[in-house]
Amino acid sequence: MSYTGDAMTRKLVTFKINGSSYETAVREYDVLLDVVRENLNLTGTKRGCDFGTCGCCTVLVDGRARLSCLTLALECVGKEITTIEGLKTDVLHPLQQTFADAGGSQCGFCTQGFIMTAKAFLDEHANPSREEIEEAISGNMCRCTGYIKIVDAIEMAANDKRNGC
Amino acid sequence: MKHIDAATHTRGESQYIDDVPQPEGMLHAAVFGSPIAHGRLLTIDLDKAREVPGVRTILTADDIPGENQVGALIADEMLLAESTVHFVGEPIALVLAETPATAHKAAQMISVETEALPVITDPRVAFEKGEIIGATRTFVLGDVDQAWKDCDVVVEGSCEIAGQEHLYLETQRARAVPREDGCLQIYASTQSPYAVQKGVARILGLPHHKVEVDVKRLGGGFGGKEDQATHWACLAALGAQITGKAIELVLPRHQDMVMTGKRHPYSSDYKIGLKQDGKIVAYEARHYQNAGAAADLSPAILERTLFHSTNAYFIPNVRAFAASCRTNLPPNTAFRGFGGPQGMFVIESAITKAAETLEVTREEIQLKNLLQDHDIFPYGQQVHDANIRRTWQEAEKSFKLKNLQKRIREFNDNHFEKKKGFAIMPICFGISFTATFLNQAGALVHVYTDGSVSVSTGGVEMGQGLITNLAKIAATAFGIDEARVKVETTNTTRVANMSPSAASATTDLNGNATLAAASEILQRLKSFAVKELNLSHPERLTIEKETLLFEGKETGWTWQKLVQSAYFNRVDLSAHGFYATPGVWFNKDKEKGHPFAYHVFGTAAFEVTVDCLRGTYEIDKTKIVHDLGRPMNELIDRGQIEGGLAQGLGWMTLEELKFDDQGRYLSNSLASYKVPDVFFMPDDLEIKLLENVNNTWGPYGTKAVGEPPLMYGIGVFFALQDAMRAFRPEMPLTFDTPMTPEKVLMQLHRDEIEGFKTDSDVMADHQEQPVKETE
Repeated sequence: MSYTGDAMTRKLVTFKINGSSYETAVREYDVLLDVVRENLNLTGTKRGCDFGTCGCCTVLVDGRARLSCLTLALECVGKEITTIEGLKTDVLHPLQQTFADAGGSQCGFCTQGFIMTAKAFLDEHANPSREEIEEAISGNMCRCTGYIKIVDAIEMAANDKRNGC
Repeated sequence: MKHIDAATHTRGESQYIDDVPQPEGMLHAAVFGSPIAHGRLLTIDLDKAREVPGVRTILTADDIPGENQVGALIADEMLLAESTVHFVGEPIALVLAETPATAHKAAQMISVETEALPVITDPRVAFEKGEIIGATRTFVLGDVDQAWKDCDVVVEGSCEIAGQEHLYLETQRARAVPREDGCLQIYASTQSPYAVQKGVARILGLPHHKVEVDVKRLGGGFGGKEDQATHWACLAALGAQITGKAIELVLPRHQDMVMTGKRHPYSSDYKIGLKQDGKIVAYEARHYQNAGAAADLSPAILERTLFHSTNAYFIPNVRAFAASCRTNLPPNTAFRGFGGPQGMFVIESAITKAAETLEVTREEIQLKNLLQDHDIFPYGQQVHDANIRRTWQEAEKSFKLKNLQKRIREFNDNHFEKKKGFAIMPICFGISFTATFLNQAGALVHVYTDGSVSVSTGGVEMGQGLITNLAKIAATAFGIDEARVKVETTNTTRVANMSPSAASATTDLNGNATLAAASEILQRLKSFAVKELNLSHPERLTIEKETLLFEGKETGWTWQKLVQSAYFNRVDLSAHGFYATPGVWFNKDKEKGHPFAYHVFGTAAFEVTVDCLRGTYEIDKTKIVHDLGRPMNELIDRGQIEGGLAQGLGWMTLEELKFDDQGRYLSNSLASYKVPDVFFMPDDLEIKLLENVNNTWGPYGTKAVGEPPLMYGIGVFFALQDAMRAFRPEMPLTFDTPMTPEKVLMQLHRDEIEGFKTDSDVMADHQEQPVKETE
């Protein structure tokens, strides 16, 4: 039996991630999650299920929330990719601050996925209802919090943004 | 106080095992598991897998240098199967390769020849065949056999209680790194670093001190990493020992679900006898625990089922029997509640059935029998500070439960296809490990010369907020700012022989050990300071807001100055603290004792709406009064209550484990196993903390909070049943969990669905037996 596996040709391509360009070799079947974590060592993005069912691997591609475990890496060449590391400044991002304040993060494994999903959502919805927030994060799973404090955190961030905080 | 890791968590900077940069030359491991649930293992064909480029080596049981055994309580579980396999997914071989993908591809090319043996999946069948793990257990109070004849009504029945996937988002994983002189460093996602240290030492034939286990944090545990993290760490360690390379093993989600144990399914019988006024006179329960293929922690879990078999009620005559039954499922294990929830579900079922017979509400029987101070549990302990009635009364008053029930009745009178249901769930949960020796903890505290503090304990941070609590405890003890305290990784070289982070007791035990260490350092500092300040009575010195006070007045010394001066005067600024819960004991021969330091109480009320034509439902309201003692950190404690409730609700409603009769796991991914999502939580959730409660056992008067709230979730089952009964008063009461929408529909329309032939048949049936409307 022949085995090609990892021997399959890799292509050298450039990704735009968090405002920087990264050149790395990828195979046609590599998903964005592998490239971000394994090739580029951006480990803030987590692998929870490999199946598109938990939302831990959420990143932004051209501003839209995408499950990086189901997104082919080559599809993202030429697009703007943002991972949780891309939100970093000297102070916490407003969503990071409200997740901390509201207790929206317990074990932390799902947290960045929620924050990236919420960021994409709040960027397009300035004045969301609680129901709309729930709809937005319904593809993200958390096993620790029971979600209430997560919704609280996103609601607080939306209010802060509206009030110009 | 916010979670101490909030900033790094939200920035994605908190590191889990495989986020840490890899050591040079690290190999990745993949596990090949048994394809069948029970059989003889005749041959293992590794040839094709070995040919895969990038594969370094493949290990089997023959490669284990020490004892091929991971059974912690009972030596009945091999790390890698030898001649027999006992469940689907039982590890048989370990592939070590250059990348995870290569390792997994190669593992798929391994094949085995087996000779199938009979498969048992039902615990009652296992019991009949004598497949019993350890001893059966019976707790007795009073004389049940005599008591039946004093009862006005006696009812009996049975319950089928489902298991539950842990679904920690970080799957099982470990990294093993060889160090000099034959030592190994293990980074494991485990609730029990010492179990990993012991397990690795046993597998490799090493003394404990050659194995160092370090745990930074877990991406969730919930009991699933109490005993069962050990296996994966042992496999990584085995690979590292044999290859001399660092090895990382990360279970993919699918394998994690197939290979690891879950909450135990139970099949139970009950018999309950009451007086006409609702007073429970006698209760008998028989629990058949589905332990899966190995003991794991099942005997300890079985015991807690018995400890909680009467929940929050006093019953004078009790006989509770339990047997741990060996089946061909993955070995079931600890899960938040640790057997308690199953015991509590059965007594709640019995009360529900009794209420039907007596034609009273569940709540009348519940309230009449709630524990009062000095009542005796079947295990011989007297209850003290029995706050259960207080939580019940507080819930009735604060949440106006009588009005709520009235509104529900009105709603049901005015609606046909939608019905509302109501239930109250009181809980009583014992705090302490029931294995008395585990109620001990150590802490190592250092004060550095700049006044910053380092705390190491045996407790593991898994999202429950332990390290935040420890930082607060240490800061409060020293009278300094919380930002000065760092809580270190949990490491077996700093704190030895630690108990698992489990039994809700982690903050109690490790917090008290931290207090012991801090108080020793404080005593030294104060003895030194009184001399320097020409004072006497060191006990009159206190530190508040980083300032040293004598009889409440400023001495002119700050914390920093105190520490610096003490250092230059050769005062030891480090201490090891130790805590052992006093007064807890249990005699297994007599099945009597005082196993718990104290109990946690609470009452939850539920309102649900069921669409009785579709089987779907909503949890409208959940109202809780919870006894936290004196809360130390409300944000974290409320997070524990909400998260525990969510898991309890999921267990009772959506989360359905499906195995076929050949022991194959069918709900083996998040696509086929449904856990609560954001929509599922009650729209109206209110949690009130019981006020004016002190607790002498917890640090600063707190009470343990990890497990108890999960058991509130049991109430939703009975609320759903209440709504279904409003639609179909003649519906027989069955106690099979989870109450999925599918089951709701089947129970409400069983006759129509089972008798379904053609549309016209159904129409004819409806004409003969119209659906009965409630008045």
